[in-house]
Amino acid sequence: MDVLANLGLGFSIALTPFNVAMALVGVIVGTAIGALPGVGPASGVALLLPLTFGMPPTSGIIMLAGIYYGAMYGGTITSVLINTPGESASVVTCIDGYQMALQGRAGPALGIAAIGSFVAGTLGVALLMLMAPTLARWALSFGPPETFALMLLGLTTVTGLTGGDPLKGYISMVLGLMLSMVGLDIISGDERYTAGLPDMLDGIDFLPVAIGLFGMGEVLAGAEAARDVRILEGRYGVRDVLPRAADWVRSRWAILRGSAIGFFIGILPGAGATIASFLSYTVERRLSRHPEEFGRGAIEGVAGPEAANNAASAGALVPLLTLGIPGSGTTAVMLGGLMMWGLRPGPLLFEKNPDFVWGLIASMYVGNVLLVVLNIAFIPAFVRLLRIPYAVLMPLIIVFCVTGAYSLSYKVWDVGQMLVFGVLGYAMRKLGYSPAALTLALVLGPLAERALRQSLILSDAGVGIFFTRPIAAVLTSLAALSVAVAVAPPAIAALRRRRAAAVSRRPAGAPPGSPA
Amino acid sequence: MRRADRAAGAGLLLLGAGFAGVAWQRHPYAGPSGPGSGFLPFWLGVTLAVLAALLLARALRARDPGPPWLPAGRGLRRLLVVVAGAAAFIALLPVAGMTLGTALFLLLILRGVERYGWAFSAAIGAGVAGLDWLVFTYWLRVPFPVGVLGF
Repeated sequence: MDVLANLGLGFSIALTPFNVAMALVGVIVGTAIGALPGVGPASGVALLLPLTFGMPPTSGIIMLAGIYYGAMYGGTITSVLINTPGESASVVTCIDGYQMALQGRAGPALGIAAIGSFVAGTLGVALLMLMAPTLARWALSFGPPETFALMLLGLTTVTGLTGGDPLKGYISMVLGLMLSMVGLDIISGDERYTAGLPDMLDGIDFLPVAIGLFGMGEVLAGAEAARDVRILEGRYGVRDVLPRAADWVRSRWAILRGSAIGFFIGILPGAGATIASFLSYTVERRLSRHPEEFGRGAIEGVAGPEAANNAASAGALVPLLTLGIPGSGTTAVMLGGLMMWGLRPGPLLFEKNPDFVWGLIASMYVGNVLLVVLNIAFIPAFVRLLRIPYAVLMPLIIVFCVTGAYSLSYKVWDVGQMLVFGVLGYAMRKLGYSPAALTLALVLGPLAERALRQSLILSDAGVGIFFTRPIAAVLTSLAALSVAVAVAPPAIAALRRRRAAAVSRRPAGAPPGSPA
Repeated sequence: MRRADRAAGAGLLLLGAGFAGVAWQRHPYAGPSGPGSGFLPFWLGVTLAVLAALLLARALRARDPGPPWLPAGRGLRRLLVVVAGAAAFIALLPVAGMTLGTALFLLLILRGVERYGWAFSAAIGAGVAGLDWLVFTYWLRVPFPVGVLGF
């Protein structure tokens, strides 16, 4: 009953004309960002964050969330039509989506993806609505040690799972934490690492860093090579896009399974939409009665993963809203936004700002309806967007990065910082470091430091406090486990290679164990 | 990539050691009622130094030089011009102002780098600068730097 009353409150907020308009702007921009290769949802949210400063926070988050899940819809268009994923969660859609397009079935591929995304998005929000308040109530009992252990878990899992090379992921995370130390110490007022510059006293603002690492970094990575895209011609009217009866029958379970996989993977910090979509694809191929069609245009291979990535974006909001721990780069940027609006994400958010949380949840039902209409009726408009050459788009995004970084506090200093982090983001991307881990660590750093120091004051400087309190102990162990899971496979592989090399160097006929 | 890893490993090792050194020397490790402001920075510096040492050791042992991470030739030139153009755009903001700066930057990239025609480049530059002014200066009231021309 509680949930229904809260949802009623949410809809009374989400359905005001201004908030519906913001949801619409969010989902249109999100679809466009998802569709454009080279601009991911994290960049989109970072770039549009400054636009929300003049709005009430609820309207702001409604727009940003719209961008986030809208991007999951938009990414499909590019995957199917030009065989290039618009964002990473749509990589797997290229496999069967593009094959369908080559067979002249791009319309049904896009249609089933939109419908699958709608079903999954709506189920995901329903699960979010049912689970989040319970989780928030449970997290209310957390003291500083549990909070610190939770942040540690968030940091280690995101870092371990997002990048290819765990060592470089952890380096990115530590760099982010180090950057968060700059400025006045929150407890003692001590000035740290400011190099005497007054602009550094308030610390390194997260927004120029996020715009730089994601927006500018992605643009520079794209700038080194001009790309020409070839779009498959086709008809994308409403009738061409609606799937046939046989397509429905083949896809319905894939969509439901994808929704469940996506939501629960999305909740786990660090896993997120990309992993969910790959997992869904694997599951569908295993369960299929005709696995040989996968890779040759099986519609389940589009429906399942597209459902999964949308449900994952709803799942990812669970830890963000209830625990204040973002599970991905995009939600890390959203967390920074929440803090800029003066909100403290975490268990108290549901008690102190019910209008914000429930307004957001209700808006996601609205947004998903808007998206399914948009993605069935207006596909030709987004296809036209793909025809904008990257060479024109690239300087426009740079102008937007500059505008966004300046709008934070009207200082050219911030814009300069954005450019520095843009170059850093480019290098990090090319060298295999993780911009998402750095951003997350920068956002969580001050909170984690405060929780750590409070815990150590409580325990009289003993680290045992993280292992003796039950919840903290479980969370700390999980954090350690996540590091082990990330580090062990490459270490074991290296060891095996070394053994194999030693064996091959051993002279023929020498007994095993003799020095090589 | 191997050379870049070696350079990054060495640089990050120095950065970590320096960061920990500054924390140790300038900021109290322990305060009156628990860890001081130098406590976490010290351990972060140490952690970075250890991770960087691992990276350096791995890169020094690696036999495969790996693919180059920076583009060569035309790709590198494009990249450098875009970065330099953006840097000039930002540095000249207080002089040129946002609107004129935007138009000039777009003209530089579209005409100079991407080789579009003058008319097309100027039209995009003027259009985007105008739109930027309309949304941010007029509607959202962001006080952008006004340049010598007064806008």
